[in-house]
Amino acid sequence: MDINLFIVQFFNALFFASILFLISSGLSLIYGIMKILNLAHGALYMVGAYITFTVVILWLGLSWYSMVVAYLASIAVVAALGIFIERVLLKPLYNKPQDLQLLLTFALIFILDDIVKMIWGAQYKAFPTIPGWSIPVGDFQIPIYFIVTVFIAIGVGLFLHWFFTRTTYGKMVRAISYSLETSSLLGINTDRLFALSFALGAGLAGLAGGVAVPLYTASPGMGGDAIVLSFAVIVIGGMGSILGAFVGSLIVGFSRVFMAILFPVFEIALIYVIMAVILMFKPTGLFGMEMRERR
Amino acid sequence: MRIPIDKELYSLLILFLFLAVMPQFLSTYNVRLLSVGILYGLAAVGFNILYGYTGLISFGHAMFWSAGAYGIAIGLVKLNLDPMLSILLAFTLTFVVAVTTGYLSLKHTEIYFAMLTLAFAQLIYALIIKLRDITGGDEGIYGIPRFPPDIEQYYYLVYIVAFALVILAWWIVRTPLGLGFQAVRDNPYRAEALGMDVGRVRLISFILSAFYLSAAGILYAPLNRAITPDIAFWTFSAIIVIMTIIGGSKNMFGAFIGGLIFIYINTQAMNLTEFWQLTLGIILALLVYLAPYGVVGIVDRVVDYVRKR
Repeated sequence: MDINLFIVQFFNALFFASILFLISSGLSLIYGIMKILNLAHGALYMVGAYITFTVVILWLGLSWYSMVVAYLASIAVVAALGIFIERVLLKPLYNKPQDLQLLLTFALIFILDDIVKMIWGAQYKAFPTIPGWSIPVGDFQIPIYFIVTVFIAIGVGLFLHWFFTRTTYGKMVRAISYSLETSSLLGINTDRLFALSFALGAGLAGLAGGVAVPLYTASPGMGGDAIVLSFAVIVIGGMGSILGAFVGSLIVGFSRVFMAILFPVFEIALIYVIMAVILMFKPTGLFGMEMRERR
Repeated sequence: MRIPIDKELYSLLILFLFLAVMPQFLSTYNVRLLSVGILYGLAAVGFNILYGYTGLISFGHAMFWSAGAYGIAIGLVKLNLDPMLSILLAFTLTFVVAVTTGYLSLKHTEIYFAMLTLAFAQLIYALIIKLRDITGGDEGIYGIPRFPPDIEQYYYLVYIVAFALVILAWWIVRTPLGLGFQAVRDNPYRAEALGMDVGRVRLISFILSAFYLSAAGILYAPLNRAITPDIAFWTFSAIIVIMTIIGGSKNMFGAFIGGLIFIYINTQAMNLTEFWQLTLGIILALLVYLAPYGVVGIVDRVVDYVRKR
């Protein structure tokens, strides 16, 4: 492979891995804390993409300033949506069979896909240009936006690490993920923490959508691909582990991008082969802890 | 061992009696839809052998429906084989896929099992997309011949096969093998202590379940005359799970009507509004709260209520 092409694809893979990390860390932390596999997580990512598109392209115009405003708007809207889903829709199902939560989050995919179609129409929403300038590499260009995205992903990873290890809230959240009963006996308000965790996970999906939209265009079915790849990420990395989501995203991102060039036939297949092999030999994933049944 | 006739069998017989006369009152288009409904019901019954009776939730059953559908389509269209050989090809393909994925995924249970089946199903999906020469890639396979070509006659072919297989499923779960499935579901450790080979029982259930899905897929491809990779995507696996839960995973009658109800709701939603996904989603969500044990659960509650009066 040409060295310049290699460099460009390297950054491509890093960008893709960053988006994957933002999506899958949210999915993973919701599963780790609440034992809910949120099938609608990809749909939340889609909503985030549309919010950022609307704020930047339809309202403020393309600039770094409007991008920041749009990201914050995406996080806020999707986190609020997350709180609604957790408090109103999921809470009544906590003492029922787990299949029902799965069914409900699947129904949400249909609902959110169509609501998006109602508001924004069925056409693809593409950014006219990627924000910021580019770095030339031979005949190719690497948008500075790629590098910014990588820093956002690393920043979010560090924030999550700080949040879960240094803040009281974070420590309480970890406590409830170990034992819900003991935590509530110790006086932790588990209701509020569940809402907070779900909002945090959903907010990350919203941010992921916002960051992805300048390159990946927004469309009503975009959540479907995202959610399956995120499953692969959290299974490889270990469900409930932020570090796992980080490493898993890099594995999935790089194998996808480089397989697409080297062996196009196995582009997607390799990811699932890796996932299956890891599950067979280390079912908890690379960095996952042994999961205990809680309910 | 003699298996007593019970309420569930009566319910199934009445339902199939009803389905036997239905085409007389429906347009050709609706007969086609009802055929799809019956095949979905058959798929749900097959899925329920593994889910309701053996206690394992698979998120990849679309791969077996696809193995059947692609097997027969490749046989008929790409290789120009006669129907019997094509069906044999489809079942061979299903057997290979089911034994390999079953052996590997059954090293685990619960969520890990679900994830492994999902991974294998997505792998199959990726292969279907990429192996263009054999599978037609994104575009799928068109012009699959139908025997008999008349839709109403084909309906009765679907009907007879589904009838036989659903009653067979009802019977299997009452044989010592089927009771073994339930023993493994309720308490695998105790089953093991009683001398059962838990792994083997699970694998048998998995393969049996796969063959039901495959049979439904084999009938589906000629019915539809064309297949696309959508039938291998994970959303279809999710739909298989969902139909079973809608109808009720408690028994085979519930699973079967789940397939019919799903097609009915889906069609009505599509006819009523451009936003059929939204309608379908809201109905699904309402069912979660109003009928957590499926439609069969509601019927049970009504019967209990009437008895108490």
